[in-house]
Amino acid sequence: MPRFVRLASFAALALAAGISTTALAQRGGASARSAASPQAEATARIVAAAQAVLATLDEAGKARVLFAFDSPQRTNWSNLPSPMFQRNGLRLADLSAPQRDAVMSLLSAALSADGYRKVHEIMDGDEVLRTQGSGGRGRGPGGGGGPSFGKDQYFLAFVGTPSVSAPWMLQFGGHHLAINLTMAGSQATMAPSLPAAQPATYTIEGRTVRPLGKENDKAFALINALDETQRGQAILNYRVADLVLGAGKDGRTIQPEGIRASALTPAQQTMLWDIAREWAGIVHDAFGEPRMAEIRSSVNDTYFAWSGPTTNGSAAYFRIQGPTLVIEYAPQGGVDHIHTIYRDPTNDYGAKIARR
Amino acid sequence: MRGGRRAALVLVLALAAGAVLSAHRRDEYLQAARLTVDPARVGVELDMTPGIAVADAVIASIDRDRDGRFSADETRAYVGEVSAAWRVAIDGQRLPLDVTASSFADPDALRRGEGTIRLEASGALPHLAAGSHRLAFDNGYRRDISVYLANALVPRSERVAIAGQARDADQRQLTIDYDLREEAAAPLPSLWLFAGVAGVSLAAVFLLRPPRAARG
Repeated sequence: MPRFVRLASFAALALAAGISTTALAQRGGASARSAASPQAEATARIVAAAQAVLATLDEAGKARVLFAFDSPQRTNWSNLPSPMFQRNGLRLADLSAPQRDAVMSLLSAALSADGYRKVHEIMDGDEVLRTQGSGGRGRGPGGGGGPSFGKDQYFLAFVGTPSVSAPWMLQFGGHHLAINLTMAGSQATMAPSLPAAQPATYTIEGRTVRPLGKENDKAFALINALDETQRGQAILNYRVADLVLGAGKDGRTIQPEGIRASALTPAQQTMLWDIAREWAGIVHDAFGEPRMAEIRSSVNDTYFAWSGPTTNGSAAYFRIQGPTLVIEYAPQGGVDHIHTIYRDPTNDYGAKIARR
Repeated sequence: MRGGRRAALVLVLALAAGAVLSAHRRDEYLQAARLTVDPARVGVELDMTPGIAVADAVIASIDRDRDGRFSADETRAYVGEVSAAWRVAIDGQRLPLDVTASSFADPDALRRGEGTIRLEASGALPHLAAGSHRLAFDNGYRRDISVYLANALVPRSERVAIAGQARDADQRQLTIDYDLREEAAAPLPSLWLFAGVAGVSLAAVFLLRPPRAARG
């Protein structure tokens, strides 16, 4: 075979191989792209649900619900009832039935099943507070500048425009509830958020409801699973009257106290992570699971602290604190009024994931 | 009939007050202190939130002329009264603090139980040798109606490491034990600067030396 023919054959083979390789690589890339991550899929569903809310609104409604991502609205939340605390956004009381349904569908898309139940039960509890008053004494005033209780008094706001790529925040809150879900592409954080309850136990349709009952019971189970030496490290010898890092206490990290998670047995550690999941797992599972992995990875630097009696049914404060986690559970004088806070000192309001 | 209406109105107001009370701290004055320890300074942040049942007493101790507003003189006097009730000591020696900032919620917000008074103070530490030190903070303001929180914040300086915190049962007193480390050795940029100067000097000596005389 003449030399130039052989050279031409080699060149043709090389070209064919190159084209094939490139084509395979492109097909592989397309295949990888079509298998979206659970986080990307969840993000797409949440954004679609948020856009469905916007689609029910006229221009005035959109103007009320949408805020610039860098606006002060980002940190505008509280445990106090409205209008004692001035909330912005769409109030459920002002929405039509289809609009309310769209809002609740959005919450359902953004939260885990347990998180959605918790939010519902906190709102139902506030409705009980409205209709029965504290201790069944009567109806809250609801006007004239006094506090307004009940399921109608919760607000939705979007800080930034719902997007699968640009950062934005879903805010939903009212008395004893602040959900601050920051999303940035396929990442999300629900820190800081404040689930609370009053009454902490109530009956609805013949069913006893305790919105934060699992948090309480799991924590008492853990403190009672510790031996005397461990309790000596975990139990603080002073009263903690309220949340240390509640609403308005952004950007601060207190010195941790209590017993290190690494000083717990594996079974006790599992109990600790199970308590943390009650907060970290409020968000959709696609984000809650990686968040739990992050929390568990800091076993050497995570602490569990307790203040108060150790008999379940008593009012006791506890705190779980690690490099990326602060959880506080603070009864307000008795067991029927509970404040809690959930924070990530490295990622509150998406500080880590929402850099622009 | 008129008496019945009045009774109903009284009942509604009582129930409304009950609902308000149920939602908030009632008869306590929450004082939450956070302390920062740096190598050369100590800082104190204090958030003071009166419950609605004690708010009028707190407002009365600020609004001395009873005009319903807090004047600059009144808030200054109150800040002085609060800070005078603090005792801060480093290694047993009294440490004076200066209040550097304060803010007051308006009286109506305080009455509703949503208002907070905030104070920030700091004090310069004397020169401290590396090693263990003890900072003590005692807040004695309005012990009759107050509940307290007191916490050390995680130090910003890597030279400071908190070894332990101790409190009395109601957190009015906080003792912080901490270790102060030596300042780091000469930083790398100085070494580079020294090497650079030495290099330039050697080059200058080489270039400027007189030429050798030719042998002939």
